[in-house]
Amino acid sequence: MKKLLLASTILAGMTTAAFADGHEVKMGVILGFTGPIESLTPDMASAAELAMKETAGKVLDGKTIVAVRADSTCTDAAAATAAAEKLITSDGVVGIMGADCSGVTTAIANNVGVPNGVVMVSPSATSPALTTIEDKGFFFRTAPSDARQGQVLADILKDKGITKVAVTFTNNDYGKGLADSFATAFKAAGGEIAISAAHEDGKADYSAEVGALSAAGAEHLAVFGYVDQGGKGIIQTSLDTGAFDKFILADGMIGESLIKAIGADLNGTIGTLPGSDSAGAAKFKEVATAGGLKKNDGPFMPESYDAAALMILAMQAAGSTDRAAIQGKIMDVANAPGEKILPGELAKALEILKSGGQVDYEGASNVTLTDVGEAAGSYKELEVKDGKFETIKIR
Amino acid sequence: MIDFLNALTLFANFVLIPGLTYGSQLALGALGITLLYGILRFANFAHGDTMAFGTMVTILATWWLQGTGVSIAPLPTALLALPIGVAATAIFALATDRLVYRHYREVKAPPIRLVMASVGVMFVMNGIVRFIIGPNDQSFMDGERFIVKARAFKNATGLNEGLAIKSSQMLTVVMAMVLVALLFWFLNRTRTGKSMRAFSDNEDLALLSGISPQKVVTVTWILAAGLATIAGVLYGLDKSFKPFTYFQLLLPMFAAAIVGGVGHPVGAILGGFVVAFSEVAVTYAYKKFITYLVPVDYAPEGLMQLLSTDYKFAVSFIILVVVLLVRPTGLLKGKVI
Amino acid sequence: MNPSMRALIGFGIMAVLLAGVGHYQSWNVMLAIFNLCLISAVMALGVNIQWGYAGLFNVGIMGFAALGGVAAMLTSRAPVSTAWAAGGSNLLIAGAVTLGVIAAAWQLSKWRGRAWVKTVAMLIVVLGGYVLIRQFYDPAVLAIEADNPAKSGFLGGLGLPIIFSWAVGGVFAAIIAWLIGKVALGLRSDYLAIATLGISEILIAVMKNEDWLTRGVKNVTGLQRPVPYELNLQESPRFIEWVEWFYAGSLAGLEGATRSQMLRELTVEGSSLFVKLCYGGLFLAVLLIVLILCVLALASPWGRMVRAIRDNEVSAAAMGKNVTRRHLQIFVLGSAVVGIAGAMLTTLDGQFTPGTYQPLRYTFLIWVMVIVGGSGNNLGSVLGAFIIWFVWIEAEPAGNWLMGIATASMEEGDWLRRHLLDSAQHMRFLIMGVIMLVVMRFSPGGILPERTARS
Repeated sequence: MKKLLLASTILAGMTTAAFADGHEVKMGVILGFTGPIESLTPDMASAAELAMKETAGKVLDGKTIVAVRADSTCTDAAAATAAAEKLITSDGVVGIMGADCSGVTTAIANNVGVPNGVVMVSPSATSPALTTIEDKGFFFRTAPSDARQGQVLADILKDKGITKVAVTFTNNDYGKGLADSFATAFKAAGGEIAISAAHEDGKADYSAEVGALSAAGAEHLAVFGYVDQGGKGIIQTSLDTGAFDKFILADGMIGESLIKAIGADLNGTIGTLPGSDSAGAAKFKEVATAGGLKKNDGPFMPESYDAAALMILAMQAAGSTDRAAIQGKIMDVANAPGEKILPGELAKALEILKSGGQVDYEGASNVTLTDVGEAAGSYKELEVKDGKFETIKIR
Repeated sequence: MIDFLNALTLFANFVLIPGLTYGSQLALGALGITLLYGILRFANFAHGDTMAFGTMVTILATWWLQGTGVSIAPLPTALLALPIGVAATAIFALATDRLVYRHYREVKAPPIRLVMASVGVMFVMNGIVRFIIGPNDQSFMDGERFIVKARAFKNATGLNEGLAIKSSQMLTVVMAMVLVALLFWFLNRTRTGKSMRAFSDNEDLALLSGISPQKVVTVTWILAAGLATIAGVLYGLDKSFKPFTYFQLLLPMFAAAIVGGVGHPVGAILGGFVVAFSEVAVTYAYKKFITYLVPVDYAPEGLMQLLSTDYKFAVSFIILVVVLLVRPTGLLKGKVI
Repeated sequence: MNPSMRALIGFGIMAVLLAGVGHYQSWNVMLAIFNLCLISAVMALGVNIQWGYAGLFNVGIMGFAALGGVAAMLTSRAPVSTAWAAGGSNLLIAGAVTLGVIAAAWQLSKWRGRAWVKTVAMLIVVLGGYVLIRQFYDPAVLAIEADNPAKSGFLGGLGLPIIFSWAVGGVFAAIIAWLIGKVALGLRSDYLAIATLGISEILIAVMKNEDWLTRGVKNVTGLQRPVPYELNLQESPRFIEWVEWFYAGSLAGLEGATRSQMLRELTVEGSSLFVKLCYGGLFLAVLLIVLILCVLALASPWGRMVRAIRDNEVSAAAMGKNVTRRHLQIFVLGSAVVGIAGAMLTTLDGQFTPGTYQPLRYTFLIWVMVIVGGSGNNLGSVLGAFIIWFVWIEAEPAGNWLMGIATASMEEGDWLRRHLLDSAQHMRFLIMGVIMLVVMRFSPGGILPERTARS
C-alpha cells in the first residue's frame, strides 16, 4: 500500500509538472466565499481574475493564467487548510492569491503554503502578527500591517487637535489589532480614548453599541470596521440617533458605497487608506469598469488585483512557472528600480520583462514591499468633501 | 427640569425606542415559534431561515414592483410586496411539512426527531436563500426614512439631546400591534382558532371531538410562515437583510419564546420585549444619563455600564439560563416540559 | 444484509473514495481529509454517547470543541512572565474573591430563614461581590492586556508539550458539562437543545472577549506541534537520505541537475506526507482508544442500563435507576470526548482562533455525521464522520464543477451564469441538508443502525 501511495505521489507530481507545460497555468484564488466576509470576496476574486484576463495569452510566450477558486471560509482553519492543500498538491497551482482573513491566512501559510514552497500573496490579511511568522520568504501581502495605520491615524488626529475619541472596531483580529495599535499611538501623543467597544459584523442592529459609545462623552467616533458590514451600520445608527456626526475611518471603511448609502451627512469625515497617490486607484476603476466587474471600488479589490498581477509579473521575470523561481522575483517586480506600472498596463510590463528590462509595479494600491514582503504602508489622508473622498496629503 | 428632560430624551432615544422596535420584531418571530410548538410540539430550528426566505421573496417582489414604477410613498414599497412574500413562504412551509414533517407525525416519532428534521430543513433553506439572493447585505427600504429627526428635534425643543424616530420603527410597532390583535381575535373568536387552541391543550380530546388535525396543522404553518415573513421584512426594513443575521436571530427568538412560556402567545410577546430591553438596557452606558440627573459633583467617572456590549448577544442566553433555572415554564406558565 | 457486512462495505467504499482522491487529486489532499475525518470521528463518537446512548440532544458541541481548543492553547503556550507581573496578583485576588462570593452564596442558599431576608441577603452578597470582584479584576485585565498588545497581551499558558492538552481539553469540557448538566438536564429534550445552543454561544463570546486569557479575536498562532516541522525535515540530511532510498526507483534514471531538482520536489512532498502521517497515527490511536472504550461500555451492564433509560425513562426509574444521575454522567462523558477532539483539532491547525467557531460547522455538521452514520452505533458514527467530512470538503469542487457544466452553454457575460458560478459555494449547505433529511426519512437508523439484542 505504501509503495503504491508513494508511486502515485510521483505520478501526481509528474502530472502537475506536465500541466505547467501546457498553455494554461493555474493560480489559486483562496478567499472566504462563504462565511462572515462572503459579501466582499466575490469582488475581490473578480479583481484578481481581471489581472489574469488582462494578461491572457501573453505570459511566458503565450500562456494564460487561469484562476482556481477555493473557499477559505474566513473562519474555519481546517477547511481552509484542506482547500489550500487541494490547490497546491492536486491542482498544482503556481502561486496563491490569498488568503483573506488573518486567522486562516496564518493557518494556510504555516501548514501548507510554506512547507510546500508556494508563494502566497494576501490582499487583505493585515494583522501585525503576520509580519513575524516564519514564512521563509514565501508569504507576501499587498495590504500593509495595521501597526502602521494606527500610528498614522493618531498623527492625523494630533494635527487636527482632536484629543478625545470614542473607538469602535469590528470584533476580529483586524479590528482589534488596529484598535490596539491606534490606542497605543494615540495615548503616546497625549490623546484620550473615551471608550473602546467592539461591534460584531453582520448584526444589523447597533443601537446598543452606539448608545454605549455616545455615553462616553467624546465628540468623534473612530470606526475600524468594514464598509458594507457592521461599520456602515454603526455610522448609520450614529447619525440616525444623533449620537455622532464626526467620524474617523480606517481603510476597511473607505468606499464610495458608504457615501452612496449615507449621503451628505458624511462631509467632514476623516479617513486613511493605504496608497500614495490616486493615479493607480483611479486607473483601476477604469480598468474594472471596462472589464465588466460588478463593482469598481470594493474594499481590498485593488489589493487583490495587485496580488495577482505581482505573481504574474514575477513569473514572467523568472521566465518559468517554477514555484521557487517566482518567489525569488516578487520583490524585484514590486520595487524600484524599473518602469512604473499601473493597472491596465500589465501587457506593457510583460513586454518590458521579456526584453530583459525591469519594472516597478505600482498597481492599484501603490505597491512597495518592505524587506519582510509586505506593503510598505504609506497612507493617504482622506477627507469627505461634497460627498467625495478627497486626498488631503500623503503620510 | 431641563436636565431631567434631557435625561429622559436620551433614555428614549437609546433604550426605549430601539428596544420597543427590536422587541416587536422578536415578538412576531417568537409568536411563530410558540404557535408551532403549541400545535406541532417541536422547536423549529428552521424559523430564522424561514424569516430569511420570506424576506428574500418580498425583496425580489419589491425590486420587481420598483422596476415597474409602482410606489406607495411615503410608505416603503416592500409593504405592497409583503403579501407575495407571505404567500410564497406559506407555500414553502406547507411543502416542507408535506415532504418532511408529516411523516414523523404519522409514525408518532418522538419530538426530538422533528427538531432534528427542522435542522435539516434549516440547512436546505440556508442554502436556497444564499443561492438565490446571495449572502450580501440588501437594503430595500424606500420612501420617507424619518418621522422625527434628531437634529430637527434638538432645534425644535432646544434640548441638548436629540430624539429620532424612524418610520420603519413606527411601522414595526404599529404592524406588530395590529397583527397581534388580529391573531388573538383569530385564536379566541373564530372556529378554526378555537380548534387550534383545543388541539394545543389536549390533542387526543381535540381529535375525539372531531377537529381535523390536517386543517389545524395547515393553518398553523400558514400563520407561522406569515408571522415569520412579516417579522423578517420589518426587521429588514428597519436594519437590513442578510441571510447570516437572520440565522442568528433564531437564538434570541427562542429565548423570547421560552422566557415568556412556550406555547403561550402572550408569553412570546412578553418574552420578546424582555429579551430586547435587557439586551439594550444591560449594555447601555448610563454615564451621560446619570450625569444629567445628579448634581455636577456626583457625576460618575466610569461608564456605568453593567456589561460590555461585547456580551450583548449573550444577554438573551443568560436570561434564558436564569429563567430555566428559576422558573422553567417561563414567566407566564407555558407548556410544562 | 448482516450488520458487519454493511459496516465492511461502508468502510470499503470510504477507502475507495479516499484512494480515489489520493490518485486523482493528490495523496497530500487525501491525508489531509483523512486526518480531519479522524478528528470528526472522535467528535461524532462524543455526540453519539450523548444522543445514541441516552437520547440527550446537545446542540452545544461547538462550545465543548472550543474548550478543547482553549486547553490546547493554554497547555502548550509558554507563560508570559511580564503579563503575570503586571496583573497576576490582582487577578488572583479577583479569583479568590469570586470563590469567596460563590461560597457565601452557597452557604446562604442553604440557610433556612425568612424568604425576604434571604433574598435581600443574597442580592447584597451577589451584587456586592460583583462590585468587589471588578475592583481587582478590571485593573488586572487592563494591565495584562496592555502588555505588548500587538504580539502578546495575555497571560500565556503552562508551556507543556501540546500532546498533554488533549487530556486537559477533555477535563475542561467535562467540568463545564457538569455545570451545564446540573442546570439543564432536569429539563426535557427541546429545552436542553436550546439551552446548550445558547450556552455554547456564551462560551465563545467569553473566549472572544476575555483577551487576558485567550488573546481573544487577536488569535494565538504558531502553537507548537507534537510532530516534526516540514521545513526542518526538508533540511535534515537524514530525511533526504530516507527519501532517496524510498524513491530510489524513480530517481534511478536521472542524473545531475534533473536528479537534484526531482529530489528536491520529492523531499518537499515527502516531508508534507510524513508530517500528515505522524498526525494521522496520533489521531488514529486516540480514535481507536475512544472507540474501544465506547464499544466496551455499550456492551456492559452500564450500557444496557443507559439504553433502557433512553427507551423508557419512567420504567427505568421505577426499576430504581437514577435517571438524572446517569444523564449527567453521560453528558459529562460525551462532552469530554468532544473536548478531546477539539484539542486535537486546534493542535492540527496550529492556532487557536475563537472567532472561527460557528454553530453550522462545529455543531450541526457533527450532528449530521451522527444521524447519517447511525445513532447508537459507535462504528456508524465513525463511518458517518468519514462520509460527511468527505462530502463537506468535496462538495465545493463538485459544486463548482456542476455549475461549470450547467453554465457552459451560456454566454460569458450572462448575469445568470455569473450568478450561478458565484453561488456554487452555497451548494454545501443544501447538499448537507438534503443528505440529512433523506437519511432521516428513509433510513432512520442511519447507514449502520443500532444493534440491539432483539434484532
